[in-house]
Amino acid sequence: MAIGLGLGSSCPWAEAPARLARAPLRALRVRRAGPSGHGKRRIGLALIGVILASSCSHPNRIVVGAKNFTESDLLAEIAAQQIERRTGLTVERKLHLGGTFVCHSAITAGQIDLYVEYTGTAYTAVLKHGAGPAADSVRQAVAREYRQRWNLIWLEPFGFNNTFAIAVRQADAERLGLHTIGDLARVAPRWHAGFGYEFLNRADGFPGLAAAYGLHFASPPTAMDLGLTYRALADGKIDVIAGNSTDGQLAALHLVALVDDRHYFPPYEAAPVVRHAVLEQHPEVGRALLELRGKIDDDEMRRLNAMADIEHKDLHAIAHEWLARAVP
Amino acid sequence: MNLVRFYLDNTREVVGLVGQHLLLVLVSTAIAVAIGVPVGILLTRRPAWRGPVLGLANVFQTIPSLAMFGFLIPLPFLGGIGARTAIVALVVYALLPIVRNTYVGISGIDPAVREAARGMGMTDGELLRIVELPLSAGVILAGIRVATVVGVGTATIAAAIGAGGLGVYIFRGVAVVDNTLILAGAVPAALLALGADGLLGMLERRFVWR
Amino acid sequence: MTPPVVELRGVSCQLGTRPPRPIVRDVSFTVAPGETLVLLGRSGSGKTTTLKLINRLIEPSAGDVIIAGRSTGAVPPFRLRRGIGYVIQEVGLLPHLTVADNVGLVPRLEGWEAQRIDARVTELLTLVGLAPQQFAARRPHELSGGQRQRVGVARALAVDPSLLLLDEPFGALDPITRTELQREFKGLIARLGKAMVFVTHDVREGLLLGTRIGLMQDGRLVFLGTPDEFRRSAEPEVRAFLEAAA
Repeated sequence: MAIGLGLGSSCPWAEAPARLARAPLRALRVRRAGPSGHGKRRIGLALIGVILASSCSHPNRIVVGAKNFTESDLLAEIAAQQIERRTGLTVERKLHLGGTFVCHSAITAGQIDLYVEYTGTAYTAVLKHGAGPAADSVRQAVAREYRQRWNLIWLEPFGFNNTFAIAVRQADAERLGLHTIGDLARVAPRWHAGFGYEFLNRADGFPGLAAAYGLHFASPPTAMDLGLTYRALADGKIDVIAGNSTDGQLAALHLVALVDDRHYFPPYEAAPVVRHAVLEQHPEVGRALLELRGKIDDDEMRRLNAMADIEHKDLHAIAHEWLARAVP
Repeated sequence: MNLVRFYLDNTREVVGLVGQHLLLVLVSTAIAVAIGVPVGILLTRRPAWRGPVLGLANVFQTIPSLAMFGFLIPLPFLGGIGARTAIVALVVYALLPIVRNTYVGISGIDPAVREAARGMGMTDGELLRIVELPLSAGVILAGIRVATVVGVGTATIAAAIGAGGLGVYIFRGVAVVDNTLILAGAVPAALLALGADGLLGMLERRFVWR
Repeated sequence: MTPPVVELRGVSCQLGTRPPRPIVRDVSFTVAPGETLVLLGRSGSGKTTTLKLINRLIEPSAGDVIIAGRSTGAVPPFRLRRGIGYVIQEVGLLPHLTVADNVGLVPRLEGWEAQRIDARVTELLTLVGLAPQQFAARRPHELSGGQRQRVGVARALAVDPSLLLLDEPFGALDPITRTELQREFKGLIARLGKAMVFVTHDVREGLLLGTRIGLMQDGRLVFLGTPDEFRRSAEPEVRAFLEAAA
């Protein structure tokens, strides 16, 4: 019966549901051919236990999460495969979980052990600081506070900066002479914007951007699924979006990212964030991930993203090939 | 309670979103009725078409709503982001219950009544107007009721393509992990669905003929 | 001699199966004004089909049906049927309309003014033995089987057609109600003087109501004559029917 029930401090909530689950089974008095009443109870509880166990952090299993866009999934897959090939541990992936806040809740609750976060996002959206400081101080502040508040460790960054790409159609940029986000303020009153739900509701997102650059659009921006904003922009349904600077779709859809001349956005360096408990138990995980430091620059990330989004290659294959080549 | 506080603080926005949601559902259901009832009537006149037409409506039904919205976006006339695309998708989803119930309602009329009506010299139009539609009104309304309730739920997904409605709160709440926001969208949507079900159910019962 | 109200000339009808199955084979007869022709026969003998060939609810595959001197094929079906009263066994009253509305249906379709319709409805309900004050506002589900069929007859008489077609109108009623309605109906026929084609499988009913009897067997008319001639006939099917009724 110990299989799968109450697996240490990582699963404090395992007990209650298991106990609850036992109650109705005990109430069952159905006599049928097959396992006896006792046997059936055991099977039932074992099943529940397996389900619970698979969603808890297991001593020899690492759970890697990812945010709900391609790049996050890719980096998670790279991290996962790197851990697998360097250590003997089993890695479970939970890709495309949800936005920043979903992943943050998941890791602080111990439901995932690791995910790739961006320093700027952590600084403004999670820790809720104002934008401004340089890359180093952002990285240090973030590392310090994550460790203090949640026992989460920031490992070394991959080497690229994925900032928000305030993107417009190339044709419009050329025709109207749009080069910086400041230029956008000129045309905004005649234009319509569309953003994902997270960007619209983050402190470092639209509200702050509009204030910093004095952007006043014809009507409040349309809120929609982030992935759809690219296509909506390309199809002419909206005029400006907030994409990611390393996205493969920018070039493919003939979109141009406007320059953040007032440096509104903080740097967004991608790095793995890991639970301290996991690193203590398995220092080899930290060593494995350290090998990825500085291995991906902006162009490389764009290339990998394009392979996934434009050429529709399988994530696992992309990660595998890249690791074999870049981290032999 | 958090939710009540939220509604009090954001009354205008809430009313606006509820209004948008209602508009999506009402417009799409009205269009679906305008298309679906005649198609259902047509199916009773051309039984050979029943299989293909109902089959097609069935297939539409199985397409997951987010996928449906995604398909429609790039289309030139029907597509784009926003309410128009959402309404097109909602119309498609509402068609099956309305077409099918119209067909079933009319074919289910007592054959003796139909024979007597023909025998006394009713034209096709008179038969439809005086016999078939009044006698199948209850069943057709049941189909409209189902379509409306489903529509209220599906319309929450419309927020993913920028069509507004109560789904805006739900998506926002999911993105920032705020349960109050999620409930702020989900609770009124559920209430709308229940309300529509109740109202149309009452109307439906008035058309039951023994 | 007055022209017949209805004349069937060599009328046949077959089911569209492969091979086609004949239901009515080469049937001919006439019905004079004021005459009641009873079509008698077993189940499947083609009597109901023959009836429906008259008001074109079924299309003949051969032959001609002539009503008041014109072939039924020359008139749009609905126009044809408006001038023929049609009564069926299940009655088929419209459940969502009152008795008065049901009886006044064809006058309404024909565009009569409301007052004229009301007067006619009252007249007809009285004629079929239903007190108008009591029954006009009722709905079909509140009536007994016998009452419903009375309404059915009233409905069929609404625009005073010269021809009535009845398909086993009393077949679904209990024996007592059936006898009562048969007797009343006989009186009604005598008073109204209409031409009627009355389908039944009940010999006694046929002998009671018919001025002539047409016996059908396997789609053919094997006997056509008065009730007296029927009783004296040596035709095997006639004998079979008479024996069964005895």
